[in-house]
Amino acid sequence: MPVEALPGTIRVLIIGGGKGGKALLELFACGQGVQVVGMADINPQAPGLALAQNLGIPTSHDALFLISQGGADLIVDVSGDQLVAPLIAKHKPASAEILGGTSALLVWKLAQHERDLRDQLIQAEKLASIGTLASGIAHEINNPLYGITGLSQRLEKETRPEIVKEYLHDIIEMSRRIATIVKDLNVYAHKNSAQALCDIDVNHIIEEAIKMARRACVLDEVKIQTEFSTLPRLQGNPDELLQVFVNLVTNAVQAMEGQGTLTVSTSSVNGSVRATVKDDGPGIPQHLLGKIFDPFFTTKEQGKGTGLGLHIVRDIVIRSGGRITVDSVPGKGAAFTLELPITSR
Amino acid sequence: MTWGLHTKDTSGMGRVLIVDDEEVVRKVLRATLTEAGYEVVEAEHGGKGIEKIGSDDNPLMVDVIICDIRMPKINGIEAISFFRQQYPSVPILVLTGFPDTKMATELMSKGVFDYLVKPMDEEKLLAAVKAAMAHRLALSDQN
Repeated sequence: MPVEALPGTIRVLIIGGGKGGKALLELFACGQGVQVVGMADINPQAPGLALAQNLGIPTSHDALFLISQGGADLIVDVSGDQLVAPLIAKHKPASAEILGGTSALLVWKLAQHERDLRDQLIQAEKLASIGTLASGIAHEINNPLYGITGLSQRLEKETRPEIVKEYLHDIIEMSRRIATIVKDLNVYAHKNSAQALCDIDVNHIIEEAIKMARRACVLDEVKIQTEFSTLPRLQGNPDELLQVFVNLVTNAVQAMEGQGTLTVSTSSVNGSVRATVKDDGPGIPQHLLGKIFDPFFTTKEQGKGTGLGLHIVRDIVIRSGGRITVDSVPGKGAAFTLELPITSR
Repeated sequence: MTWGLHTKDTSGMGRVLIVDDEEVVRKVLRATLTEAGYEVVEAEHGGKGIEKIGSDDNPLMVDVIICDIRMPKINGIEAISFFRQQYPSVPILVLTGFPDTKMATELMSKGVFDYLVKPMDEEKLLAAVKAAMAHRLALSDQN
């Protein structure tokens, strides 16, 4: 069945699911105005095909079959196979244009450049988000630091051996606490490892994210509860996924303005891992629901958010072949649900 | 109200209530203040602090309260608001890990005597307690 064109969108069929095809698919899937209607590659292991399948895009080993289905305004040939171009030209519908050869290579180069820029943006947003956690981090460090400086000052005058020993023990304990905080921060702040696909335990990633996001809340009035199911491990980039959950949990904690319950639940559904981050804050007004994933859209006061958090969350999720949806009833909170495929993107 | 001023009833320097969930922080404060001649009462969160001085049958009289902000159960903000309402003549020193100007301004406008950020030298802490104690005495002399 030909795909009906959405108004103002270009329907694209990608021939070639290698690096070039995958880069183009990531670019088109995250952006607006382009709808990928299919991807073909003779190699069933081509990385682009797996991503396309996760995104619900029709795939085939037979380019001509997809072309015969119609519905493409543009056929992009990044197969790298010189024999494919004349076949496409021969079988394409009259209305479809072809982008191939050097032109397609140029677009691929642009897509790679765009990907590099996005990676930089993701890192910049991560560092900016640490800024919003600064006062929570300061609190966590200043408490043990006060223990260390205070007890050290006491030790200058203390002569009783048992008290000296006790204070030294406390000082070592407090120093270790600070070292752990710094280590956590360092793990989060370091640059995301490019293309590092690992087996991920999503529940563990969420626990790490909660630890980080707790610092977004000055008071201890936000209850964070987890409802974890046993999950299959999924293949993905753990650094990126941690950033996704830190963003979602931090947003929820901030939305509740210091009071409420945040529930993070996980389950395994049809070859995907589903995770829901739900708060009972004021919710998102209906008229803003369509905008929250837009870049630089924020309702937070200046200095509290970059407006890039949810945009990057969506970007990372889509590039992993997953989906993110939001449900919100004003006055009753918001719930973000992620579905992440278990298989490699 | 059976509330009275402890300072005038004893020969010591006065009684300080410490409300902080960090045991080591309480330990530092206790050692420093006891050495300086103050009597110290401790509570590990706001609820305990309220409980310790809030009983009408046996009110515990304190001259100065040192209160943390982020604590489990009843946090510092709630506890401070209770203390200010029930015992307006007892000066409160906030001692917190949050270097937050906005929060400091808000709390000072609600009558908090001083906003101190951890970590701090014991000389500075003692100076703050001394100033609060003097304020307490000045208020009681007016009454």
